[in-house]
Amino acid sequence: MTNRERAMNLLHYKPVDRIPAVHFGYWGELLTEWADQGKIPRELAEGNWDGSEKDVALDKLIGWDFNWNHCSGSSNGLSPAFEWKELEVLPDGSRRILNGNGIIERHKPGITSIPSEDDYLLKDREAFETLFRPKMKFFPERVNVEYYKHFNETRSWDVPIGIHLGSVLGSIRDMTSVVGMSYLIYDEDEDLFADIVDTWADMQYECAKTILETGAKFDFAHYWEDICFKNGPLISPELFDELCGKHYKKRCDLCHEYGIDVISLDCDGVVGQLLPTWYENGVNTMFPIEVGVWGDQFEPARKKFGPGMLGVGAMDKTALRKDKAAVDKEIERMKRLVSLGGFIPCPDHRLMPGTKFELVQYYAEEIKKIRI
Amino acid sequence: MSTELLNEISENLQRGKAKVVKELVQKAVDEGLDPDVILREGLLSGMDVIGEKFKANEVYVPEVLIAARAMNMGVGVLKPLLAEAGVKAAGKVCIGTVQGDLHDIGKNLVKLMLEGKGLEVVDLGTDVSPDTFVQTAIDQNCQIIACSALLTTTMGVMEEVVKKAEAAGIRDKVKIMVGGAPVDDAFCKKIGADAYTPDAASAADKAVEFCLELAGKSA
Repeated sequence: MTNRERAMNLLHYKPVDRIPAVHFGYWGELLTEWADQGKIPRELAEGNWDGSEKDVALDKLIGWDFNWNHCSGSSNGLSPAFEWKELEVLPDGSRRILNGNGIIERHKPGITSIPSEDDYLLKDREAFETLFRPKMKFFPERVNVEYYKHFNETRSWDVPIGIHLGSVLGSIRDMTSVVGMSYLIYDEDEDLFADIVDTWADMQYECAKTILETGAKFDFAHYWEDICFKNGPLISPELFDELCGKHYKKRCDLCHEYGIDVISLDCDGVVGQLLPTWYENGVNTMFPIEVGVWGDQFEPARKKFGPGMLGVGAMDKTALRKDKAAVDKEIERMKRLVSLGGFIPCPDHRLMPGTKFELVQYYAEEIKKIRI
Repeated sequence: MSTELLNEISENLQRGKAKVVKELVQKAVDEGLDPDVILREGLLSGMDVIGEKFKANEVYVPEVLIAARAMNMGVGVLKPLLAEAGVKAAGKVCIGTVQGDLHDIGKNLVKLMLEGKGLEVVDLGTDVSPDTFVQTAIDQNCQIIACSALLTTTMGVMEEVVKKAEAAGIRDKVKIMVGGAPVDDAFCKKIGADAYTPDAASAADKAVEFCLELAGKSA
């Protein structure tokens, strides 16, 4: 069987010869760490992204079969993006930078994690109409139609590849910060936030439609959101449903028209309260189900929604920083989840610094031994 | 009449109507209400309701943020009057995101909730070293050090804060609270901190409890 067949069979409750070893990529710092330790060639640590040649080369070195986040999409961001600009250097050496999404970030020397967000441009109707709406328009060049016309000849048929559907709300949060999004939802112009969401979603839909119309074949579709945290969603489930539900449905219906019935969504945090909106509108695959850091779980979702709710993820990646016993415990837990059907084990997010290379190899080897 | 006005302040604060809250607070001042009463029975009582609803998942981050913004508008009117009247905060907290970590949404939410309980907050920002936490607590007579972290790679700094506080001899005078995505009660106990709370509103409740406890000790 190919890994593509294994993955799609698992998600359709069909037999497989073995479980594929699936992952969700790495923090850049981890790859540097592994290169420093001599575990991987230095060139694989740089310019390595999901599904890239380097990612695939690293898969072979480790023993992974594929990266679930290997998707193909369009230029569906703000276009043109805001020009990155250094606005100020603060006394402690921090730099205030305007990023491509119109957020003013603070970068501190020596800190490589996500920068803090100081301010943002999308504050009112005027900013939306003059600065953002023009950058959210659909235009044909957003999709490389020539590439997709030949996609079926050039793509790998050994691994599943998804069409990336973009986001509904997550990208808007990236343009406003959580604080800015909160204020926009409630400030005087009551229709503004909904207008932003609709404008953004319409463009994302057109991008997906243009790709699919080329005849390019995908095994699944994939959204990105990241709109939850430790205690649940960042906005109320009712408001989320009202603003976003119809947009998920529109893009999911489009995918169904093209025979794509596995639609996954990448959302960090505890996602349970948003699952009804996603599931009822066609999103049927939870990913990455963050068990380790946030305490999320797959079983309650399966229990609530039934066999139509699929999952990829839920393996506590922090075990890969510990020891074989911790990994074995996770593998035992994965066996139980796999036995439910419609589930593929995968570390519950990108592997982080401190992850032990040999333990990852061990996990990838052992997970393949699970049989249904 | 005054009860009605205070209720109106509280209700508008809960709906995040910042401009209305500011106007109502000014009206209450003009009508001769005690600024401390306006603060406690108008603004802070409104934030209390929001805090409880946040804990119960009845409101979410946006509602907390707009309520806090409204509270700050109201407090802005009262601040000079409270200072003039010598009204003191119920306690003082220094808060920050630990060294190596620049994430501040959670920290800011806790800060807002602490202020909503009438506590004075020294916001140290992000990427705060253990020394800065401890030195600030000493210099500014804080009863509480509150540490936040989003990353599993930075939560270890919290243990350093506890150790530095011990080394500085302030452990009996200062409570150390920890929170953030990867932090839990077991971690809190392991590093010898005083409290982990799962959300911003619970953190504020705990901080008030600690301030009362410490005030009792020193009384």
